[in-house]
Amino acid sequence: MADGSRSNGSTRRDLPLVADRMVGLDRQIASGHPAVAAGWDMPVDLDKDPAVIPQLADVEVPEDLKREIEWRMSLYPDPRSAVLPALKAAQRVHGWLSTDAMRQVAAVMKVTPAYLSSIASFYDMLHEDPVGRHYVYVCTSVSCHLVNAKAVYDAIAAAAKKARLEGWDIREFECLGACDMQPMASIDGRYVGPLDPSDAPELVAAIKEGRTPLPGRGLEDEDYMPAGAGDPPPHEETQ
Amino acid sequence: MTAATELRLLKDIDEPGLDTIEVYERRGGYSALRTALTELDPDEVLEQIQAGDVRGRGGAGFAMGKKASFIPKGDMDKYLVCNADESEPGAFKDRVLMQKNPHLLIEGCIIAARAIEANHGFIYIRGEYELQADVVERAVRAAYERGYLGADILDSGFDFELVVHRGAGAYICGEEMALLDSLDGKRGNPRLKPPFPANAGLYQGPTLLNNVETLCNVPIIIELGPEEYVKVGSEQSKGTKVVSVSGNVQRPGNYEVPLGVTCREIIYGLAGGPPEGREVKCFFPGGSSAPVLTGDEGLDLTYDFETMAQAGSMLGSGSVIVVDDSQPLVPLALRLADFYRHESCGKCVPCREGTNWTVKMLERVESGEATPMDFELLAQVQSNILGNCLCVLGDSMAMPIGSMLEKFRAEFEQHAEEARARNEAAVVEQAAPELAAAPLTGPA
Amino acid sequence: MPRPEPKYVTFEIDGREISAPEGISLVDGAKYGDVEIPVFCYEPKLGQAVGACRMCLVEVEGIPKLQTACSTAVQDGMAVITNSPRVREAQNAVVEFLLINHPLDCPVCDKGGECPLQDISFGWGAGRSRFIEPKRHFEKPLELSPLVAIDRERCILCYRCVRFSQEVAEDYQLVFLERADHTYVGTHHGHPYVAPFSGNIVDLCPVGALTSSAYRFRARPWDIENGGSICTICPSQCNVTFSVRDDSKVLRVFARDNAKVDDGWLCDRGRFGFQAVHAPERITRPMVRDGGALREVSWERALETAAEGLRRAGPATAALAGGETTNEEGFLLQRLMREGLGSPHVDSRPGGPLDPGQARALARPDLAAMVPDIDHAGAVLVVDTELQDEMPILDLRVRKAIRRFGVKTVVIGGRPGALDPTADAIVRTAPGASEAALGALAAALGEVEPVEHAPSERRMPRDVAQAPLGGLDERQHGEPDEQGRSLDQGGLDALAGKAGTSAESVRNAAALLRDAGPVVVVWAERLSHGARGREAVAALLALAGALEVAGTEGAGLIEVPSGTNSRGLREVGCIPNLGPGLADAPEAGLPAADIARALGGELSALVLLHADPVRTHPDRAAWRRALAGAGFTVAFADFESEATRHANIVFPAESYAEREGTVTHPDGRLQRVRQAIGHPGEIRPAWSVLAELAVRLGAGSDPPLLTSPMVSRAIFEGVPFLAGITLEEIGGKGKRWQERGAAADVPAGAEMPSPGELESPPELAEPANGDLRLGTTRSLWAGRETEHAPILAFLAPRQRVELSPADGERLGIETGDEVEVARDGARVRAAAAVRDALPPRSVYLLEGVEESSASELGDGAAATVTVTRAEPR
Ligand SMILES: Cc1cc2nc3c(=O)[nH]c(=O)nc-3n(C[C@H](O)[C@H](O)[C@H](O)COP(=O)(O)O)c2cc1C
Ligand code: SF4
Ligand code: FES
Repeated sequence: MADGSRSNGSTRRDLPLVADRMVGLDRQIASGHPAVAAGWDMPVDLDKDPAVIPQLADVEVPEDLKREIEWRMSLYPDPRSAVLPALKAAQRVHGWLSTDAMRQVAAVMKVTPAYLSSIASFYDMLHEDPVGRHYVYVCTSVSCHLVNAKAVYDAIAAAAKKARLEGWDIREFECLGACDMQPMASIDGRYVGPLDPSDAPELVAAIKEGRTPLPGRGLEDEDYMPAGAGDPPPHEETQ
Repeated sequence: MTAATELRLLKDIDEPGLDTIEVYERRGGYSALRTALTELDPDEVLEQIQAGDVRGRGGAGFAMGKKASFIPKGDMDKYLVCNADESEPGAFKDRVLMQKNPHLLIEGCIIAARAIEANHGFIYIRGEYELQADVVERAVRAAYERGYLGADILDSGFDFELVVHRGAGAYICGEEMALLDSLDGKRGNPRLKPPFPANAGLYQGPTLLNNVETLCNVPIIIELGPEEYVKVGSEQSKGTKVVSVSGNVQRPGNYEVPLGVTCREIIYGLAGGPPEGREVKCFFPGGSSAPVLTGDEGLDLTYDFETMAQAGSMLGSGSVIVVDDSQPLVPLALRLADFYRHESCGKCVPCREGTNWTVKMLERVESGEATPMDFELLAQVQSNILGNCLCVLGDSMAMPIGSMLEKFRAEFEQHAEEARARNEAAVVEQAAPELAAAPLTGPA
Repeated sequence: MPRPEPKYVTFEIDGREISAPEGISLVDGAKYGDVEIPVFCYEPKLGQAVGACRMCLVEVEGIPKLQTACSTAVQDGMAVITNSPRVREAQNAVVEFLLINHPLDCPVCDKGGECPLQDISFGWGAGRSRFIEPKRHFEKPLELSPLVAIDRERCILCYRCVRFSQEVAEDYQLVFLERADHTYVGTHHGHPYVAPFSGNIVDLCPVGALTSSAYRFRARPWDIENGGSICTICPSQCNVTFSVRDDSKVLRVFARDNAKVDDGWLCDRGRFGFQAVHAPERITRPMVRDGGALREVSWERALETAAEGLRRAGPATAALAGGETTNEEGFLLQRLMREGLGSPHVDSRPGGPLDPGQARALARPDLAAMVPDIDHAGAVLVVDTELQDEMPILDLRVRKAIRRFGVKTVVIGGRPGALDPTADAIVRTAPGASEAALGALAAALGEVEPVEHAPSERRMPRDVAQAPLGGLDERQHGEPDEQGRSLDQGGLDALAGKAGTSAESVRNAAALLRDAGPVVVVWAERLSHGARGREAVAALLALAGALEVAGTEGAGLIEVPSGTNSRGLREVGCIPNLGPGLADAPEAGLPAADIARALGGELSALVLLHADPVRTHPDRAAWRRALAGAGFTVAFADFESEATRHANIVFPAESYAEREGTVTHPDGRLQRVRQAIGHPGEIRPAWSVLAELAVRLGAGSDPPLLTSPMVSRAIFEGVPFLAGITLEEIGGKGKRWQERGAAADVPAGAEMPSPGELESPPELAEPANGDLRLGTTRSLWAGRETEHAPILAFLAPRQRVELSPADGERLGIETGDEVEVARDGARVRAAAAVRDALPPRSVYLLEGVEESSASELGDGAAATVTVTRAEPR
């Protein structure tokens, strides 16, 4: 096939394609998930070469990233098991899974970029668009829904907009496994709750100023007390 | 309180530093492992687990010992996989176990692996549990340093490597076959069974896959001895269960109870019941996938696998979501259906299209565009999904939605009717605000 | 793996008892009772069932839930119901779900009339849709590549196309993206899906979602007629169907499944190359050179001028038959040469001589493997060929064997290839060092002490495990010997050194092969081309002996020839020293390489039958001189080429869609090429032109050859081991001659040498001053299809210089840099391509390309070249 014989041009998708990816997003359903996937109606660019496995010799990979991916691959009987950790590592380094980031992973793992795209687009925590290096996932799933989580999300989203918070992916999320903190949110993995819409401005302000949001209300905080724990009888083991 | 019994899994849960190997060992940790490796041979370990009769805590309630006994003997590569994907709405018990008592899980993994003679293990933790994965990873490292993991553990000749694997946000990866595909480095799509994991699981090798809580019970069985272990529990559900209670209750949280207490004890006695002045309208006894039970039918049933099944629902992962009588059910149903629509892997037709269609119909109910006939269709779509899918994710939506529709049909119809009336009023208002403002029934 | 013997089981379906082979799926088993179970995703050619569409749900007695018939194997005594109300309900439900997002635009769909979704909705649907929500609508179709368009509204996400890409072709470019109801078929970040076999997804798609850009909107199924034939574009000789309109226009080519040849797959060259048939630039009238220019003339004038010129040259005439020449054409060509002109100089191979004894040994039926043997071999050994380029369908076959049946693979060669990631062992040699490598392997197999090696228990079939993207364990690579030779002069070490590899990697391969069971050796004809071709074939035969191929059921050799019908041409006598039936020719002639040298000297005329040696043969300069020097040249050609530019007479040649005759598959299967469309212009069949020339040269047959079947019969009479075969017996699926009684009549060949008897190969040339060893390789796309089929034009290969990362670094060359490759004053310029897995000191160039072909650098044998960054022009 035409692999090496056609040189790889550099018309790479390094600029976010958010604009063209918005096509077809007009119909949104209740929870804010778009009705159709972005990209569904995009043709390919016939000027591009097919995305075959890149040659490592042609791709510059940050040394740390390369080492991490190779180490991850060594942990499994089949190196491909390391695809999620590898993509996560690349996402950490690049902020998102840009075409360059994917090419680097593909070259180290010796897999096709399409394989990586099929994986990355399947999982909610991997992003092929620059949605933000950090995240606030506000759980609006069943239990949190029952205690008004949508209002919490709306308040946080509005506060973030007002504060012009950039580089953060703020979105509704499915159950985060912390209904005891309902309604709650995960801020880059730090679970905080229970939340009230009135917490939103302070939460956003803390993020913006680089402070820990809502100290004492994070799951791992020393003095954390879950909901209702103050009321008699105290929780769990004292039954 | 009648539920009061000795805690097993949550025994020392608030002991500071329980997640460190020192404290865990001080509390008697890893002594079951020592017994299993130095006093018992693998078959005896397996026998004890079987005799302990612990049913899977991940959802299906399949007897763990029996599943382990399906693993073929022989020196092929075998695998132990711990399902720590806990992503079902309402479930959060594994989170606490891993965060607070990671070594119990690790000890359980090693003993279970010994029983089936697997030399590789993986703990698949959902990606959102970053803190918990960090804790477990640290604990695994400590266990390696102490020689509980790695080569020739406790001079028994048994080798076991344990890797913490983090997911990246996909509920379906909790389904065992999807989890294996995901761990294989693929999209998390369930595969056809058979072959079952016991024969061809991870990397096509025999694989034992169990939930976190299930595996946490293993050291306890060995420690107490199976005879002692089975003294707690109901006829067909042995041991204790960590129940996650959430929704409209005053004290949401994890409560460890002996299987067989009543639902009322859990919801009211432990979790404080619904807010002041509210009644339990219905509850999901086994997470969002379980058919709902109304307060009247469910509260006085005993909480165990067999009773919940008899009542037409299931104990599932042991997550109780309480809905009080102030909650409208249509938005809840819509939110729940949308969860499954979003989390469907998309592989099989009835689930992919059925969840999508259900959401669209419920949206119409919510927005007042539904007709009474739509409820019949909605119910039929649920039964067209049921039993026709590749895995049970589709059923997991069809069952609760179907049960809500069945038990609260009138509320659905009323909701639609009210929404329609609201719409009509809005249309009138837009067209002729003066008219809308005027009282409808004659002059005052 | 032993070939499974089918055992029959009896079971009940809808109350009737039927029996079917054990282990097949219920879907297939039901067909034995004429019961059709509807399916969308099930396609056994793609491997294990996936159970995605749920269309095939049935009741199985004793199992409470409905079961998918595609994934349930038939078992003795089982009872199945496919038509109960419960099953009907499930089927209706699935159809209804499927149509939710389907546009039902059948009237404007290419698939209309041959669409499984249409048929199944009609047969198994409830005939209504209760879905009133708006459907999604988008602009369509969208391009997926220049060859294939995609209509995502129509897609039912059945997994067929993506499974093909991932688990059959293993190019892994076409994938599902996103998940849930957002899932769609796509590629990485808008790259086109371009891979050798991409077009198969059009055949696989059960709805009109994937369509061929060459066929889209060209016709509706009822406008066309379908005719079966063989694709003669490459040696894979896939069985194809031509869809034809008005007996004159080929509208599409699609697979005609023959499990013994192609498994129902085609490469894109075969699927889309048919467009060249209708290229406006085709030569359709006879031409004669007149005052320096070719002029169209009458057939009579062309034939007479040709006969006259050839008569004049007589025994000083030489002839080359190109790879696509049929048996009939080749047979008549050699007869014309030998009997009409008294010249023995006829060749169908591009290089040096072929040893007659070896030719006969290689034709021994007990040394021959057939294509399906690959499936059930213990191991496949691939010697110095990139199958994806040289015999693409065999590449798919080997992949299938590995993935589905756990067959082991050993690859020998200098250039990293497409099978490397799936190979169990790789012996990486210096370019063109196969002779030493084969000798070393034969010697290693003879070593008494089995050596420690990687675990050899049969690997799990990968079908259910992993696609081969994981890369290969470092240990399995042949450590390329930095010195190029070993200091140890003894035995294996020395041989391995001469091959540019390590004894360890050879031993590793040998250990694997020794324990594997029957070995199928796939080797490339180029092994026999060079100056040491004879010795190299001897090493191959020694290896075959060491592997005990002859005595082992299911083991054998398969040759990847240089041309489509090379095997047939050899067997009908288009070899300078071999007559029909591999008998010694009465007089030995010159092989192609010598013909090039002799033209303009002792040879004065040349017949080129579908041959363009400047393009395809080694040493381009020599052939340019030869064509210029030949006094009189007759060319049978379909397009202008270097051959026609020097020809005195040009006979318009048939395309494969117009041709009638037989070809011989590399595994010995005779296959019929059937005429699908009428001849455009004044084209006549080449066999009739050759027969007519023979008449004019006084060597006509008696009775005269009036039809193509008459020529076929003449061959069957003239070749003893084909005696008695008929065209009917060959039929639509072909017939391997080795499987017939007459096969015993292959003349006795050379003895199989033992490894100890092999002549010692020469030392590996030591490149001086940082020079590199030159290797050559062919591209699938080097050929007239990319030049004359507009849809394939974008694939026309351009030369590139493949270097190892180490050499790239040393020479300051990166991928994309313009470089110059020089040897003895000859130069080639092209872009560099650094390849991770290429061993240092090797450089690979394409042969057979129009511009800057490797053959510009001479005959390529064991050459060293100087590679430098090119000065800007
Ligand atoms: C859609 C779906 C999601 C599931 N999620 C989980 C999960 O998050 N954790 C879990 O342990 N089991 C989950 N299960 C159940 C598993 O498939 C499996 O039955 C279980 O992990 C087996 O472990 P056990 O026998 O110890 O319960 C899920 C099943 C389905 C169908
Ligand atoms: S494009 Fe066709 S073959 Fe591919 S998934 Fe869709 S329906 Fe199936
Ligand atoms: S054909 Fe059986 S599930 Fe698709």
